[in-house]
Amino acid sequence: MNIDHIRQDFPIFQQQHNGKPIIYFDSACQSLRPQVVIDAIDSYYLRSSACMGRSMHYLAAEVTRLCDESRKTVAKFLNASKKDEIIFTRNTTEGINLVAHSQQFKKGDVILISDKEHNSNLLPWQQLVQKQGVILKIIPSQVDNTFDLDAFEKLLSLNVKLVAIGSTSNLDGLTIPMAPIIKKAHAAGALVILDAAQTAPHQRIDVKTLNVDFLAFSGHKMLGPSGTGILYGKHSLLEKMDPFLVGGETVSSTTYETGVFLPPPEKFEAGLQDYAGIIGLGAAINYLQKIGFDAIQNQEHLLNAALTEEMLKISGITLIGPDDPRLRGGICSFYKKGTDSHQIALMLDQMANIEIRSGQHCVHSWFHAHDLAGSVRVSFYFYNTLGEVEAFLDNFHQIEKVL
Amino acid sequence: MFCIASFIVLSILGIFSATNRQLAKEALDCVFHRVTFRPCTTGFDKKMKAKLVGGLLTRSVPVAKFISKYFEVLSWIFVALFLLSIAFGVRGLVLYYTTGSCNGLNSTGLCVFDPKGENVATSATNCPTSATSAKDLTLANVNLSTFAVKNPNSPEKIVFIGCYECDYSRKAYPVMIKLVDKYAPEFVFAHFPVKGNTNHLAEVAYCVYQQSQDKYWQLNDIFFHADKTVMETEAFVNDTLTQLGVDVGEVNACLFDPNTARTVQNQVTELEKTGLFGTPTVFINGEALVGPKPYRVYAIALRGLFFWLTK
Repeated sequence: MNIDHIRQDFPIFQQQHNGKPIIYFDSACQSLRPQVVIDAIDSYYLRSSACMGRSMHYLAAEVTRLCDESRKTVAKFLNASKKDEIIFTRNTTEGINLVAHSQQFKKGDVILISDKEHNSNLLPWQQLVQKQGVILKIIPSQVDNTFDLDAFEKLLSLNVKLVAIGSTSNLDGLTIPMAPIIKKAHAAGALVILDAAQTAPHQRIDVKTLNVDFLAFSGHKMLGPSGTGILYGKHSLLEKMDPFLVGGETVSSTTYETGVFLPPPEKFEAGLQDYAGIIGLGAAINYLQKIGFDAIQNQEHLLNAALTEEMLKISGITLIGPDDPRLRGGICSFYKKGTDSHQIALMLDQMANIEIRSGQHCVHSWFHAHDLAGSVRVSFYFYNTLGEVEAFLDNFHQIEKVL
Repeated sequence: MFCIASFIVLSILGIFSATNRQLAKEALDCVFHRVTFRPCTTGFDKKMKAKLVGGLLTRSVPVAKFISKYFEVLSWIFVALFLLSIAFGVRGLVLYYTTGSCNGLNSTGLCVFDPKGENVATSATNCPTSATSAKDLTLANVNLSTFAVKNPNSPEKIVFIGCYECDYSRKAYPVMIKLVDKYAPEFVFAHFPVKGNTNHLAEVAYCVYQQSQDKYWQLNDIFFHADKTVMETEAFVNDTLTQLGVDVGEVNACLFDPNTARTVQNQVTELEKTGLFGTPTVFINGEALVGPKPYRVYAIALRGLFFWLTK
């Protein structure tokens, strides 16, 4: 993989701020976009900005074809059985909410989540606790934040209806052992939904091999347009589920009393969709596959290893998660007691346009449980370089002098 | 503390920039928390500190370290200086309103509202003076009995020392006459020659005063408004006197009288006792005002700050 060549695909790297280039280490929040994705979005507005599936004219047929292509691309990307298992959403959050609202839960049903879930995979279930009387149980992580299979198995002995879990944590980059977790959950009669927002951009996912029931991820973390996301669901399950949002394009017919809902995925895609985003997401996935996940992971590990090695030498710095960078993908999250992570982020930005994330990264519950104010999170993607890591370290060492 | 100063500064900058407007809103929120004895929850002060220190780190680590370490103390100092400068600003404004100078009555220091110092400018007397500042100017032991006087015996007393050809006196005189017409204080006009050869005009005025006080004040008005290039000529004086209806022969006789020159010279000698160093110098109830002041300043000196409420 030629990084210099790849970086030329990203227009944002041509830009400077205050006479310095931008060093973007916040891809866990949102990735940068290559020109092909921008072109795909542009192309919709320039050449086929019409409605999908409703009108009979040429433009409508064209946008229908392009969106269908995207759906097929996503299905192939996940190795789904059929393209109708792919539901376009706005983001991971919407995908999880769709399942939370469309699946049938009853009072006393147990839902398992881990102790370091993003708010998007915590709050929808908390709502069910309040509204439907389900029981939310937390799977505690091990001391080094890795997944505790034993604790999980013990909890499965309860009346577990659903395991909702982040496959890769946005807090520390750790990926859980998905296959055994799903297998054990199924054995206990539970369904599994994976929050794959931090997995899909970095690792190959095979929903068929995993045998996962639902899987949600966002386009904006994997080079795609913001406001795009995917919910994968086994077709047999989707068919049984009630629609979450209803309206245009979800029904084949209505009377004044009722309506006839279309099969999935249409019944879950209410209203006019973000066609430009859907087409852009397809382009992003094609681009990612061209780069290849092996190359992506190698680059992320290279960068994370270089950063981790130096960070571990700094006294007072605590890494969140295991020290081994190979386990943390493209994320290096750390804190220093008594130091405000936001100040570090602001100083890095001010000094050298180094864009990192600070605070609690939408995992407030974990930070509160650990009595921590926040952390600094550096998140890489394949377009980052060792030179940028060195720049980060140089500037961080400077900041250390005033902390 | 930093947020208080920031709020004021950013509010002003926010008039011109949306970015600063947003920061000002954050600062206000922070101020609100601080005045209610709660910690600032917006992180505004931390954000600004980090931006400042981050910027400094690329230039000078010791300076950045110093600012980071003493940020709160420096904020307090900054706020104190800010409040002090506001206090001085308000003081300057009040002084300018009441005395015509930001630095106090008759002060010649720089004043932003009167950058050219026009309210304290004078034409120098070129005579030795005992006064080292306007505070030393006095009417004590000065015999004013031979000068022209209007509204004698009024409890309020104004003595105007000016020169017919001094531009600053010419600026102040009509203002003073307006004040005298409104409040009717005892008004003494004392001519002190600092420009051109105005001694002769002073003698003419003295002689007219002996003939008619009304005509004298009219003549004074004419002298202070006349074209300086011609006012010393005999033709101008004669024409003016004729127009005023003054007995020119009688005035000429007075002018030839050696007592007239002696009296006018004595008047100058008396005025020198005040210590004056330039014209116009005005004494209002004994207080000296040097230079041409705006109307309000003379009125305040005469009637106080609320002069506009008095009759």
